Formats: sequence, C-alpha cells, structure tokens
Amino acid sequence: MTESKSGVGPVIEMASTSLLHPKRSYAPVSTEDPGNSSKGAVTVGLPPDWVDVSEEISVNIQRARTKMAELGKAHAKALMPSFGDGKEDQHQIESLTQEITFLLRKSEKQLQRLSAGGPSEDSSVRKNVQRSLATDLQHLSMELRKKQSTYLKRLRLQKEDGGDLEMNLKGSSYRAEDDDFDDILFSEHQMSKIKKSEAISVEREKEIQQVVESVNELAQIMKDLSALVIDQGTIVDRIDYNIQNVASTVEDGLKQLQKAERTQRSGGMVKCASVLVILCFIMLVLLILKEIFL
Amino acid sequence: MVLVTTVRDYINRMLQDISGMKVLILDSETVSNVSIVYSQSELLQKEVFLVEMIDSISASSESMSHLKAVYFVRPTSENVQKLRYQLANPRFGEYHLFFSNLLKDTQIHILADSDEQEVVQQVQEFYADFVAGDPYHFTLNMASNHLYMLPAVVDPSGLQRYSDRVVDGIAAVFLALKRRPVIRYQRTSDTAKRIAQETAKLMYQQESGLFDFRRTESSPLLLVIDRRDDPVTPLLNQWTYQAMVHELIGLQDNKVDLRAIGSLPKDQQVEVVLSSEQDAFFKSNMYENFGDIGMNIKRMVDDFQQVAKSNQNIQTVEDMARFVDNYPEYKKMQGNVSKHVTLVTEMSKLVEARKLMLVSQTEQDLACNGGQGAAYEAVTDLLNNESVSDIDRLRLVMLYALRYEKENPVQLMQLFNKLASRSPKYKQGLVQFLLKQAGVEKRTGDLFGNRDLLNIARNMARGLKVWVENVYTQHQPLLFQTMESITRGRLRDVDYPFVGDHFQQGRPQEVVIFMVGGTTYEESRCVALQNSTNSGIRFILGGTAVLNSKRFLMDLEEAQRISRSGSHMV
Repeated sequence: MTESKSGVGPVIEMASTSLLHPKRSYAPVSTEDPGNSSKGAVTVGLPPDWVDVSEEISVNIQRARTKMAELGKAHAKALMPSFGDGKEDQHQIESLTQEITFLLRKSEKQLQRLSAGGPSEDSSVRKNVQRSLATDLQHLSMELRKKQSTYLKRLRLQKEDGGDLEMNLKGSSYRAEDDDFDDILFSEHQMSKIKKSEAISVEREKEIQQVVESVNELAQIMKDLSALVIDQGTIVDRIDYNIQNVASTVEDGLKQLQKAERTQRSGGMVKCASVLVILCFIMLVLLILKEIFL
Repeated sequence: MVLVTTVRDYINRMLQDISGMKVLILDSETVSNVSIVYSQSELLQKEVFLVEMIDSISASSESMSHLKAVYFVRPTSENVQKLRYQLANPRFGEYHLFFSNLLKDTQIHILADSDEQEVVQQVQEFYADFVAGDPYHFTLNMASNHLYMLPAVVDPSGLQRYSDRVVDGIAAVFLALKRRPVIRYQRTSDTAKRIAQETAKLMYQQESGLFDFRRTESSPLLLVIDRRDDPVTPLLNQWTYQAMVHELIGLQDNKVDLRAIGSLPKDQQVEVVLSSEQDAFFKSNMYENFGDIGMNIKRMVDDFQQVAKSNQNIQTVEDMARFVDNYPEYKKMQGNVSKHVTLVTEMSKLVEARKLMLVSQTEQDLACNGGQGAAYEAVTDLLNNESVSDIDRLRLVMLYALRYEKENPVQLMQLFNKLASRSPKYKQGLVQFLLKQAGVEKRTGDLFGNRDLLNIARNMARGLKVWVENVYTQHQPLLFQTMESITRGRLRDVDYPFVGDHFQQGRPQEVVIFMVGGTTYEESRCVALQNSTNSGIRFILGGTAVLNSKRFLMDLEEAQRISRSGSHMV
C-alpha cells in the first residue's frame, strides 16, 4: 500500500508496511506538521518538460525588452547633433538591433517546439501558453518595427536638411563669381554636387538595404506568429467557444486514433510484404535448382 | 456599464493574487457569465492556461499538480457534490474556490470535511450570478421559463426552484451594486408577488446583515413585473439591429450561430460575436433601424476598400514597412466588415422571403393604431397570402386577438378558424390560451393606450408624429410608460404595491426592473435610450431570459401542454 502520484516527476514513496514482514502494517504517520497552519501545499509534483522551454522563451522575451529600451536610448543619442562622425553610435544601434532580432527569431523557433501532439488537457495548456507567448512576441516585433521606422524617418530628415544646407551655402557663394568663369566653375560646382549626391545615394542605398532586410525578417516572424495569435473580438477569443472546441477536438482525436488503429491492424501492407518475400524465396530456390541441374 | 464592470472586477480579483499557471473551472451557467465579459486573450494574460467545465474535470485522472485550480461555480448542491469528489482526489496543486452566490453553512461544512489533503487555499463569494450582456441589461438564461405562466399547484417544486433562481439572481445584482432596494411588484401577477416577497425576506430578514449597506438619500427601487402584462412586444417583428438579429437569426450570450443559414462566404466563421464592448461599429449601430444600418455598412465597406486598394499599391519600401505594421489592424477590419455584411445580407434575404415588410406594417398597425374593421381586413388578407409563413400568421392573429379581444367576437372566431385551417402545425387553442394568460382582464398596464382619455389623446398625438418617423418602429413597449411614470413619481400604489413597510420617499435614483418571463431587445433598447436622456434616474433591466417571438411562443406552448395534461388529472 505505497502511496505515489502517477505520471509526474519523482515523489517520495511512503511505505506503510514493514519491508521484512509484509503482513504487518505500520500505523500511518501523520503528514501534518503540527507547527504549521492548516493551509499547507500538497505534494507539488514537478511540472512537465515543456514548461522549461516556455520559461526560457519568457526569459528571452524579457531580455529583448530590456535591449529595446537600450535601443531607444541609442537612437535618441544618435539623432542628437554631435561632433565626430557618429560611427560608434551607428555601430551600437546596429549591434543592438541585430541582437534583438536574433532573440526574437530564436524565441519564435522555440515557440514552434511547444506545439503538442494529440488532444489532451496537457496539450490545451501547451497551446494556450504558446498563444500567450506568441502575442507577446508579436507586440515586441511591432514595437521594434515602429522604433526602426521612426528612427529612419528622423535620420533621413536630418540628412536632407544637412545636405541642403551645404548645397545652399555652396550655391550662394558661387553666384558672386563672374559669368566668364561660369563655365569652369559651374562644372566644378556640378562635380562636387554629383560627388555629394553620389555619397548620399550610396548611404541611402545601404540604409534601404538594411530596412529591406529587417522588414523581411520581421515579416517572416509576424507571418508565423499570426497563425498562433488570437484575433481579439472574434469568436476564437470567446472562452465558451474554446471550451466547446476542446471537447470536440478531443472527440475527433479519439475517433481518428481509433481509425488509425483499425487500419494498422488490418495491415494490408504486411500481407503484401510477406507475399513478396515468399515469392522471392521461391524464385531463389528455383534458381539454385536450375544451377544444380544444368 | 456598471454590471459589466462589476463582473470583470470580480474575475480580476479572483485571478490577481494567485501566481503561476492556473486552470479555471466553471459550470454550465458561470461559463456564460464569464465568457460574455472576459475574453480568452485576457485570461491568457493572467496566466490561465486551461479552462474546463466542472462536469468533465473528473473524467480524466491525469494529475497536473503544477497548475493551480480556480473554481468559479454556482453554489448548488450538485456542484458541491462534484467538488467533494474532486477535493478528495485532488489533481491540482492548489484549490481556490469562488462561488457566485451565497453559500449555506452546511455546504461549507461539507466542503471542509472532504478537504482531507488540505488543498483548499481560500473560499470566497463573488456575486456574479447573472449574464451581463449589455451595459443596462442582464439576464438569467433560465431554461424552464414557461413555469411563470402556470399556477403554483401544477408544479410546486418546479416553481419553487424557478423562484429561488430568480431571487438568487436579483440578490446577486444588488450585492454587486452594494445596495438594498425598496421592492414593488405588479399586483395582478402571483409569480411576481411571490418573487418580490421572497426577495424582501432574504434582504430584510434572513441576510439583513449582509445587505445592510451604507444608506443614501434615496433607496433604489426594485420593480418586479410580469411578461404577460405586455405580450405584444415579444410578438412583434423587429427592425433595429440587435433586436432584429435576435428575432430573425438568434443571439445567445452575444453570439450569433450562422449554421442555420444556407451558404456562408468561405472565410466566414460559423459563429460570430456581437458585443457592444468590443465592436465599435456594433456599438454605434445596435439601436439603429435597418435602413440606416444599410447605409452605414456601405460606408464601412467603402472605407475598407480604400484601405485594401492602398495596401495593394505598394511601390516604395516605406509602403512595404507600413503594410507590415498595419497588417493586424487590416485583418481585424476585414473580419469585422465581413461579419456585418454577412449578417445584414442574410437578414435582407429573410425579410424578402417571408414578406416581412408587409407583415410588419400590419403588426405595427395592430399594436399602435385603431380601426378594428380595417385591421380585420388586413389580417384576413395576409392569412390568405401564400408567401406568409405559419409563425407570422400565428403572430398576426395573436396580435389581433390581444387588441380586439372584446370587439366583434364573430370575426375573431372566423380568424381562429382560418388560422387553424391554414396552418397544419398550429396547436389548437394557443391563441385562446394566450388570451387567458394575458387578456385584457389580466393586464394592469394600459397596453394599447385606450383605457383612459389621457392615453387616447396621447395616442392621437403620437399618430400624427408617425408620419415623420419610421412606420416600422412606431411601437413603444409598455415598459416605456412604466419608466416614465417612475420618473414622474407617479407609479400607482394600487397597481404596483410595496412589499412590507419600507416605503419610498420621492423619486429613486436607481431602478432595477425585473421582468419575470423574460425581456426583449426592444425593451433593452428603450432602457438604454431612456438612460441617455439624463433624467437623473438610472434604469437597469433584467429578466429570466431574452425573448424573441419564437421563444415566447415556445414558452406559451409548453405552458399550454402542461396545463392541459394537468387538467386531466383531477
């Protein structure tokens, strides 16, 4: 008469019969600690393995959140006018963005691992945990996108202003020259203009490339997540609908399992395979006989 | 607003102090109470990762002790029995028990005894024992609603259970509002009187300590009335959005089941949600009439098509980025547009098929305007019309009978015969049964406004106004007059006496009107519109069920069947 919980983690077994004399039973020991108040917890079994995965994902999401806050600060710093070429700030922003995107992608992949097999209560819990984490991930992705796009917008505005300002200065200073020198100076003016716009367009291209890349990455993540996230206000967001659905999926799952069992038992494949093996054997015997007698 | 917020508040309090993964266990009634105010995604945010029914939880023996169980059930004896078994064989780590109404001491003892493993961490009462569908409208979703029409001797235990459930529901509403009301009831209704008296007993004697709230200058008023005082409203066809959906398709717990409809567009869900809290379009259109809804939906579709077109026109990288950002919003808008378009299309089809415009015009005339001769002609014509369905014929005859019960009995008889001959499924004598239940002698209120001169004059004035307003929405439920009388402080003591000796000084500021037998969405609209006029009084309407004509007729038939079989056993 040992006590044990089924299915979950290690639990201390209490023997209530003597090991040497199985027929003699001990008086049951009281499990109540007389010092405690009467509201003690029952033997809390260990949670199933997938809970570790879900906790890991939550930790990653939290890390991503703190890094996002840092990114926000880095964006603000980079936008402020400063001496120096701001390459350090750029570098920091790039690395932060990459880290965050990496964390989000990693979390999203891990999220797929949470998908459970057949219908059961445990799989409903897994699915719901998955949905909740997917919603958090989606919010984070969207936040990242917004931060990036506002930063780029502001950056572009700044660069344009700076570029135009320079243009105007150069333009006005050249206007004072004589017309005779216009041709030569004009072409010089043109050359510097072209060089400037080339540099700007190269930079623009690089930025656009970055934006395209991150848009693609995030779009992929969002596509995968949108299958998991609940659309608020629709029928799938109703508790009673979800209870009904669980009941019917459990029933359906049972029917499918029964069907699978039946098809496996009839084993058409097995019969086929055995027939073929026998035929092979017969052919082999015939071949040997042919060799012997010819 | 108040009731919805209170229920949400209760649920938040249940979940907030319990950390870790939780499973929420409900019974068949509390699942409606909770689902209508709280969404699945909100539950997930509170770490509730599984929701189960108390019936099915015992079926599995899988132990999930890493989950904490939060029970929210009604304190019925069946639930207590199930809890006993589940506490004796606990599957979860901790048990937190919340009940939607008052627990009896014996029940608490039973639960304590069965908690051998001491898994129960807390037991509390949170009075969310009603379904709060709209800001000023609640229902109890009762199954055997027909019992209110039968005299007590027919089924005494059934009626006692009915009455108990209603009293529990009303008590929960006032405990949630933290007020104790003065109680009045409709004199002519035995069921209303009984319920009013039992509520008074509960609030002023049995649990007077619990109900002893802080007194304000004026006590709120609880008015218990009977559906049979206004049998016309549930029989009429409706033309305002929420009421029309319930009348033509059926609205249960703010959900519409589209399965009855033939073919749905391919990405449309079989069930949709119509909730004023979550759907802004519905909130602004739920009380509008059909014509205006059509225009508003067209506008919504146009807006949506604009957005869709701009989404397809992606040329620059910024457009791409914006599309990805706005995609969830776009998807939500698309779902919403599709839902409303499907509903309105289906309803238009039904209106067309059943010739409801024609039928409803006559119905409104019967309910509002005079002229027995013309009414008889109109009803006879429609009875002869092949396209009119049986249920519509029945309703027309019933409305005629209610209006012209005493005038021209010969023609009335002719209509009965014609109805019986045209509708093979018609249960004999149903109209007469209705007259017995809700005929002119039984009614307190002046349903057709033809009892005294003042009302007749008012009717004539309204008749002139009709030329301007919509013909199909002329009808005002009797409830409107009742609310007006309360607002003016002129609700007659003779018709609506007080229970006990707690009287009302002056006008109440909060009134809960409970209609035994059920409310309709036309009446809940009336209450919402009345509340928006800022008259200084807030009205809340509640009932045992939310009726449409089908449900009302079903209750009537059931009551008739029982009273017939009863009369054989004497």
